[in-house]
Amino acid sequence: MVDNKQQWKAWLYLSPCIILLLVFTVWPIINTVRMALLENYSGLKAAGGQVFNFGIGNFTKVIKYRRFVSCLKNTVLLCVWTVPISTILALLIAVALNSIKPLQKALQTIFFLPYVTNSIAIGMVFAAMFNIVGSFYGTENEIVETAGIINNVIEFFGGTHINWINYGSSYTANMVVMVVYIVWNALPFKILVLLGGLQSINKQYYDAAKVDGTSRKRIFSRITVPLLSPMLAYVIITGFIGGFKEYTSIVGIFGETMGPANDAGRLNTMVGFIYDALSTNNQGRASAAALILFGIILVVTLINLQVSKKRVHY
Amino acid sequence: MMKKIIAMLLLLAVLMTGMTSAFAAETEGYDGSEVTIKFYTAMGARLTPVLDAYIAEFNALYPNIKIEYTADAGYDDVRDQISTEITVGSQPHLAYCYPDHVALYNLAKAVKTLDDFIDSEAVITRADGTTEILGLTAEQKADFIPGYYAEGQQFGDGLMYTLPLSKSTEVLYYNKTFFDENNLKVPTTWAEMEEVCAAIKAIDPESIPMGYDSSSNWFITMCEQYKSPYTSATGDHFLFNNEVNHGFIKMFRDWYQKGYITTQKLYGAYTSGLFVNTTGTRSYMSIGSSAGATYQRPAANADGSYPFEVGIASIPQVDPANPKVISQGPSLCMFKKDNEQEMYATWLFMKFLTTNIGFQAEFSEASGYVPVLKSVAENEYYADLLAKADGGKHIAFLSVKVCLEQADAYYTSPAFNGSSVARDQVGTLLDTCLTIPEGDVDAAIEDAFLDAIDECEYSVF
Amino acid sequence: MSKDTMQILHAKDMGKESSRSRVMGILVQALTYAFLLLMALIVLFPFYWMIISSLKTLDEYRLNTPTFWPRVIMFSNYLEAFTAAKLGRLFINTMYVGLVSTLLSLVITVLSAFAFARLEFKGKNALFAALLATMMIPGELFTITNYQTVTTFGWINTYTVLIVPFLVSIFYIYLLRQNFLQIPNELYLAAKVDGTSDLKYLWKVMVPLALPTLISITILKMMGAWNSYIWPRLVANDEAHRLITNGLRNAFTTTSGDVNYPVQMAAVALVSAPLFLVFIFLRKYIMSGVSRSGIKG
Repeated sequence: MVDNKQQWKAWLYLSPCIILLLVFTVWPIINTVRMALLENYSGLKAAGGQVFNFGIGNFTKVIKYRRFVSCLKNTVLLCVWTVPISTILALLIAVALNSIKPLQKALQTIFFLPYVTNSIAIGMVFAAMFNIVGSFYGTENEIVETAGIINNVIEFFGGTHINWINYGSSYTANMVVMVVYIVWNALPFKILVLLGGLQSINKQYYDAAKVDGTSRKRIFSRITVPLLSPMLAYVIITGFIGGFKEYTSIVGIFGETMGPANDAGRLNTMVGFIYDALSTNNQGRASAAALILFGIILVVTLINLQVSKKRVHY
Repeated sequence: MMKKIIAMLLLLAVLMTGMTSAFAAETEGYDGSEVTIKFYTAMGARLTPVLDAYIAEFNALYPNIKIEYTADAGYDDVRDQISTEITVGSQPHLAYCYPDHVALYNLAKAVKTLDDFIDSEAVITRADGTTEILGLTAEQKADFIPGYYAEGQQFGDGLMYTLPLSKSTEVLYYNKTFFDENNLKVPTTWAEMEEVCAAIKAIDPESIPMGYDSSSNWFITMCEQYKSPYTSATGDHFLFNNEVNHGFIKMFRDWYQKGYITTQKLYGAYTSGLFVNTTGTRSYMSIGSSAGATYQRPAANADGSYPFEVGIASIPQVDPANPKVISQGPSLCMFKKDNEQEMYATWLFMKFLTTNIGFQAEFSEASGYVPVLKSVAENEYYADLLAKADGGKHIAFLSVKVCLEQADAYYTSPAFNGSSVARDQVGTLLDTCLTIPEGDVDAAIEDAFLDAIDECEYSVF
Repeated sequence: MSKDTMQILHAKDMGKESSRSRVMGILVQALTYAFLLLMALIVLFPFYWMIISSLKTLDEYRLNTPTFWPRVIMFSNYLEAFTAAKLGRLFINTMYVGLVSTLLSLVITVLSAFAFARLEFKGKNALFAALLATMMIPGELFTITNYQTVTTFGWINTYTVLIVPFLVSIFYIYLLRQNFLQIPNELYLAAKVDGTSDLKYLWKVMVPLALPTLISITILKMMGAWNSYIWPRLVANDEAHRLITNGLRNAFTTTSGDVNYPVQMAAVALVSAPLFLVFIFLRKYIMSGVSRSGIKG
């Protein structure tokens, strides 16, 4: 079936893409594996003429590092919280948007706005909103000048202010802020995809359901969700992949200390871990960490695909 | 007429051949060949006019040495770019550096040591006919402020890797108006510091008497002042987990718990912000970079006067007879190149910048950094500037003046692969320990030290 | 019975359901609006905060109790942002890089998507799957080596380094391939019978049909140039080639690290404005493009 001319043509058309990929994607992958397997590889040391042993030392060193588990835990926790929350919220918003006429376009625009912003800049805005200006939290000399706009709102409703991101703040409070920010950031893409999916669902299904007098709840769970399942699977899978690469959002809120001042690195993630190794010019360890991260993402994606194979209705 | 011209030409030819043969006979030194020197700086666009002016002056002496510089990257950008360029052999000739950067480049053995240049007595003829020796003269060497010059030799092997360009240190800014009103004495020791903090807290309970910007500098300086081990460039690197260091950390924790002190990390911004406040929570002392004096000055009133006068003093000491203050700010390092002439040319240029009194004076004036030469202070123009120093409009000169007066107190800590991590870790360690809540404080401090040591050990490879 | 009468009968049936369900319907609508408006408020708040902060004086910004509306409106912050950050040059650089890379990227994407959608060749599926798999790899892993590569090429501080390494986006190829697949194969076969060349067919039939997707890709790519930060900072941080985000980060930090936040916020707002405008006018294309990327097929 496959004729030779088509073969030849296909590769010609693909050639710019393939050449660029070979240089800027395939070579980096090969090089990463090479660096990961050379123990304590450092580009600078290599330039100085040092020879490195071949082995899995980088991997063992990375896994044994006392912060490795916490980086992994943070990454997984962020995924496990943000992906379902943002997906459910996006689904609700998309369904709600799809059911209204007036204001639909305007609201749609508003919900997409976070997509066209810079995550570091907006991170700074979020940090300012959660930030308490003051000193000596938790001592008898505690000074609170301003509790931040979020705390002001909490106090308005009769609550007491919470130390969200400053030193002495709890891990839970830090995670809540991160989840809020990441969900805020993730919503627009998900709403967009889900709304697009909703709008392409054939109206006849709903008409039929109306005729049968099916309740709203039932329509949602029996028609909307199944018909939307390919899009749902898509946003969940990309959500997990993005979640495992989480880094800039934490820099946006906490800066490069990756945690409150008294516990630097508390919120560090896998990607942050890779950057840390890079900043000490230990490309070997950075590469090993990157490959471990890739392995994890691969496994999670395969599980996701496996699950969606059973659940998704095409 | 013709004869005259021919005679002239002959003479010229003789001279030329004579010169070239003189150069050819020379085994070392710059031979006048055309070279381009790549120079990475982090000085920012504001300071480039000064550099431009002195490059022009340098080119009057050496017209064939072309200087190409970059100025709009930060220190970390310069470091990152060079450390990658080294791996492919395209590093610049000359760069702004901190000792930690040099330690990093040394992994690739890419930095050229300067001892051979410094000691060379080869004579170089310049374009205007004058000569200079390639190396540093005894007077030039002696003119460097010793602590700054010594920074170039902090790499464990006694060799000279860098020359200081312009420096800064930490100074104590205090609210002079407030101190005068309340008859407070500016603390010169840490014991006095505690008393002053207590006194201020009694006067203004809402205040944080003292802010210290850099937790890392604070820890390292305390080690230096107590003569207690911090790090070593050779042998066991990380020596800072010891009783003395536990002791001062615990003392500062008590101060913190009493509401006396804060740091940049804990406060969430430069403590100069607290210091210049005239309402709400404020501080009355701030220890920060001498180059940031203008940020330690409160905003001017409508009539141009300042709400309070700022005083500047040396930071408190453990032993006032043997003071120690940290030396910071950029130095210059040269990279190895295959072409020897490029290295000679680079050396001539770095020598020019670091030993030229005019450049040092003007650069200091424009940047707020301290010149690295003692004789700059005697320079008439510069002396005039220093004479204007005050705690308001000319605060930057006041800061420089204080820095120059403590010329013998400067120290630098050892630089090696892992020194930058140690620096970060002890800063984090101090911040962490200050905030340890009541309970088994000693155990918590010990844990924090062990964690910091762990991180340091992990980073070395 | 005609369709119309069917519907009328249905309507009568429904009518019997009483006004209760109509009340329910209105209630649900009201709740829907309330929910959407609340969410919209939450989404908008950071933008509001950014804009009012950008209009405050530095003193007011640092105020202990934040004000919700600036006491003195400082439009001058915007002027200062524009001049301090040399936004003009940054805009031109960013536009140039954005346009050139979009154009080249479109050509590569169209050709590749065409090959994957219409041509038969050995190992097509394997290759496509392999390409999709690379999307999972953390970008940091590429950065390390690519930085060395472009340094070797001598591309540091050029436009090339900002354009070339990112010309291929698997995501766009995937997007466009899905789009091409929806165009009936019969059209292609008919064109072949007529003797139309591939390129002509691609240009005359497929590109127009996939125009919405192509426009979406253009916008996404431009947005990418607008927001890119880590790579440009690494490889082209000189004044002649610097892009907008990096310019923003560098412009307001003084030697002692103090930042004039209101001016910075003003600059962020200025820089975001073109994107917002583009989005508002071309919303349709972005939405249709992105939503097409569902994993059908």
